[in-house]
Amino acid sequence: MFEILANSGASLGERFRGLVNWLCAPEKFVSLATVGFILALVAYRKWTKPKVILTVTILFSIFYFGSMTDHNFFKIITKPDNVPITMLIFFTGFVTWLAFRQAAINDERTERGEPLLEAGSDDKVLVWPDLVYTELICLVLCTVFLIVWAIILKAPLEPPANPSVIPNPSKAPWYFLGLQELLVYFDPWIAGVLLPGLIIFGLVALPFIDKNPRGNGYYTLKERPFVISVYMFGWVIMWIVLIIVGTFLRGPNWNFFGPYEYWDSHRPVALLNINVSDVFWIVMPSKWNLPWKPGLPNQAALGGLVPAYIIREAPGLVLLGFYFFVMPVLLAKTAFKKIFSQLGMIRYVVFWILMSWMLLVPIKMVLRWLFNLKYFLAITEWFFNV
Amino acid sequence: MSTAVKLVTKVWIAPGCIVCDACETTAPSVFEVKHDDGTCLIRPAALDAEFTKPLTPDIIQAAEECPVDVIKFDLIEVPADQAPKFATAAAAPAADKAEPHAPAAAHAEGPAPGAKASPEKPAPKKPTEKPKSTDPAIAALIAAATIRGGAAGIIKGADAPSALKEIQKQSPDKLPPDARYAKVIEQSKPEKKDGEPSRREILSAGVAWGIMGLGVGVPSLMGFQRFMMPNVLEEPEPKFRCGPLSRFANLQPGEVDETFKNSGKFWIIREEERLAAVSIVCTHLGCIPNWLGNDRKFKCPCHGSGFKPNGTNFEGPAPRPLERFKINIDAGQVVVDRSKKFLAMGPNDTAVWNDPDASIPV
Repeated sequence: MFEILANSGASLGERFRGLVNWLCAPEKFVSLATVGFILALVAYRKWTKPKVILTVTILFSIFYFGSMTDHNFFKIITKPDNVPITMLIFFTGFVTWLAFRQAAINDERTERGEPLLEAGSDDKVLVWPDLVYTELICLVLCTVFLIVWAIILKAPLEPPANPSVIPNPSKAPWYFLGLQELLVYFDPWIAGVLLPGLIIFGLVALPFIDKNPRGNGYYTLKERPFVISVYMFGWVIMWIVLIIVGTFLRGPNWNFFGPYEYWDSHRPVALLNINVSDVFWIVMPSKWNLPWKPGLPNQAALGGLVPAYIIREAPGLVLLGFYFFVMPVLLAKTAFKKIFSQLGMIRYVVFWILMSWMLLVPIKMVLRWLFNLKYFLAITEWFFNV
Repeated sequence: MSTAVKLVTKVWIAPGCIVCDACETTAPSVFEVKHDDGTCLIRPAALDAEFTKPLTPDIIQAAEECPVDVIKFDLIEVPADQAPKFATAAAAPAADKAEPHAPAAAHAEGPAPGAKASPEKPAPKKPTEKPKSTDPAIAALIAAATIRGGAAGIIKGADAPSALKEIQKQSPDKLPPDARYAKVIEQSKPEKKDGEPSRREILSAGVAWGIMGLGVGVPSLMGFQRFMMPNVLEEPEPKFRCGPLSRFANLQPGEVDETFKNSGKFWIIREEERLAAVSIVCTHLGCIPNWLGNDRKFKCPCHGSGFKPNGTNFEGPAPRPLERFKINIDAGQVVVDRSKKFLAMGPNDTAVWNDPDASIPV
């Protein structure tokens, strides 16, 4: 970072771009987003103040729209497919601010013993004229908006499919870029079936897992810090930030590029992947003096009862077994003691299934970025890779 | 003597009430739901409760029925033979709040001498007025109360405590409801008009029709199964002729011939000693990788899988090397048979490629 900033030959703009590109390496970008997210949760009473958030919004807008002077950034955000991303960033920021602002006000009021913002408000409105008028106005505005959009922005259509001409990078629609990002780290059956299914199942199961009535019908963070943090992590970091990563940072050959970097499809990037089994059977014994020789085991044991791949993948099986089955028991005795007593066995198991899979995503992403880890468990014979 | 009676000594409402009326329906003497204020209150008589003055056990039921579990209460356990003493203590101040069917309530219905009798239920009339109390325990209690003149008499009386114990043994819902409680229950029942089906009827009708619909619909849909299949399945001829072997004479080891990428969906690659036909479909999710001649690798634009020139996977998410097709020489022509594939299971597990059909030695 200091090399980039201290590069005396470069202009100020180039140094700034270099810094942003450096910060936008995926591991730094997602880590920074997570740190920012934690800070936002901790200091939610500070940043939600109108003056503070207005300053932040103006600064961010200057940064965002000022970046359009950069050719590559301009090309990314003016692509018709990506226009919704700009709206997504600002809208998500707005609704997040709105909720946290009301939570901050409510929490201060409860501390002072005053009634909540929502107290005494009567949600009932008349269908006619209140609701029907509102709907009519929304309908007109949305129609106008969509017509203007359809006229100004051309549909991002491409020539007929041809196997010898593949768009590079081939990106999914913007709302699926988070899922496409998952496909880089997990097998299709996990990233394409299990994880999206767990998201839907988890959202359905939420009210049955969490029966605490606090926070029903009013905004608060102080009364429900854990639940809100977990949910917002899944939504903001694991969904929105991954969409942003997929849009701005993924370039040709699905390599990572900084937002101001030229998308060079011939940039050589070495990504030699290794599995946990490779680390255990090859890397570790060749570095340290261990009782086994480097080399993947390829002999079945116990007269063919235990196939070779089970022995080969034993380290990954142990790791995943610990993560999925031992960790919840340990956590129930220590950090999640209170949660376990509140939830009971069945709901705690469901809670851990959802929680463990959600946390496995960032864990594996970071391990991939830092150590090029491919699979904990690579039983390709069964298409069972985790 | 060993049986213990649970008495509620204190009741309060935690935040989060949704103002739903359930508690007032169950224990109208304790809870008062204020719709205008959007809250629920404990009636003053129940709020003043002290340790010695047990509250109606309806609170326990109300707490169980509360949809948001905000009703909290304290319980004490009292040996059954001591329970009447507490009940008596409660009887005096709680008498004006008719408590439905607790041990205390049984007293309240009787004319306690030291207490205000319920104004709407004058005590002396009770025995004659209440033909519904056919239960022998109640009858005994009422008789004792009437004859001896009040709750104090019951305690002192020789046979009265046993009657009380009989009542205590009974579960609350077996006891006859008092008039006010019955009225509340009556009012809380959903209005049912004649001819209008109840929820239960709608549900069972729905289930019945659903089962019938499945029973009829699934078999008839299965009849259309053939309709969903194409009559002619057009598949390209699996054998693809690539011309004479001399065509690939200039292909150096590690190089890739892309001539048939579009027409045949395969690349011809040259390894040290052999030629092979490699499928262009990525083993991850079926995208089509690009051959990057300068980097000497296949690279998929969808998720970044990378393959070495011989097709083994080494970066990105692809789990297996690119698949190979059967290749042989037929009448001087190199023929690729795409109906036969050779699937290597991993970068270190490529023995299947040594099959004589998988390559042409050069």
